[in-house]
Amino acid sequence: MKYVVIVKPKKGILDPQGKAIKKVSENYTGKKIEDIRVGKYFEITLNEPDDELIETVAKNILSNEVIEDYEVIKK
Amino acid sequence: MKVAIVRFLGTNCDFDCKYACDTLGIKSEFVFYTQIDLNGFDTVILPGGFSYGDYLRSGALAKFSPVMDSVRELAKKGYPVIGICNGFQILIESGLLKGALLKNKTLRFIHKDVYLKVEKSRCYFTKNIKSESVLKMPIAHAEGNYFCSDDYLKYLLDNDMIVLRYASKNGHINDTYNPNGSVYNIAGICNENGNVFGLMPHPERVVGDLGRDGEIIFKHLL
Repeated sequence: MKYVVIVKPKKGILDPQGKAIKKVSENYTGKKIEDIRVGKYFEITLNEPDDELIETVAKNILSNEVIEDYEVIKK
Repeated sequence: MKVAIVRFLGTNCDFDCKYACDTLGIKSEFVFYTQIDLNGFDTVILPGGFSYGDYLRSGALAKFSPVMDSVRELAKKGYPVIGICNGFQILIESGLLKGALLKNKTLRFIHKDVYLKVEKSRCYFTKNIKSESVLKMPIAHAEGNYFCSDDYLKYLLDNDMIVLRYASKNGHINDTYNPNGSVYNIAGICNENGNVFGLMPHPERVVGDLGRDGEIIFKHLL
């Protein structure tokens, strides 16, 4: 059983990495880009599905609720 | 007082803290992150460094170390706990202090001397330092941009929990003197009881032959 957890900076939180990448991308393509936000991607494999376990790991380890939101995707 | 200087995998300011304690005649011992029991210690220093390689988020993995339960227990009992740089990040991730430390606004690792205004606060570690004093200390970090919600900033202000703010040599505070983008120029905060103190600057590097401004923070551990 495979799960994917995506952790993203909360809306409004400064994302200097995203800003730097956006700037370079605009310079490289010559086109305007509205916004780029950088997140983290985790692939977690379990023998048996366990949504509760993934929720605990995503909430308490993979993300910091003060600055980040997470999303769990079951594959 | 006997100070536990906690070493995590990747801690690298442990010897600087030991030097500061030895120079000032403060009894201290290194404690490894696997140690469960901190019996016999009544003070904790979480030194700077790159615990667990700063993987995931700075301080995020260190908070699960066995020693942290004992650190929490001592903090709860009111004993002094100071987290410097990565130690501050660990205190934040552990929930012993609140908020978050984001990447520096400049995206750069910053290492330089800064001036810090001592705020009127309830912090144990600055209780003998006159408020409005200005201290000079080095910073060396990539993720020292303190962030919290507007509500929590108000809470910090209302409860005298802001301890140090980045300032000019004369104690003037504005964005020019904010090296990393921290909310309200915050360089250090404490908890409600004043015994848990986290700061990004390195007082242990301004002790003995290296200066006096760090000594006055450490002297509270005597």
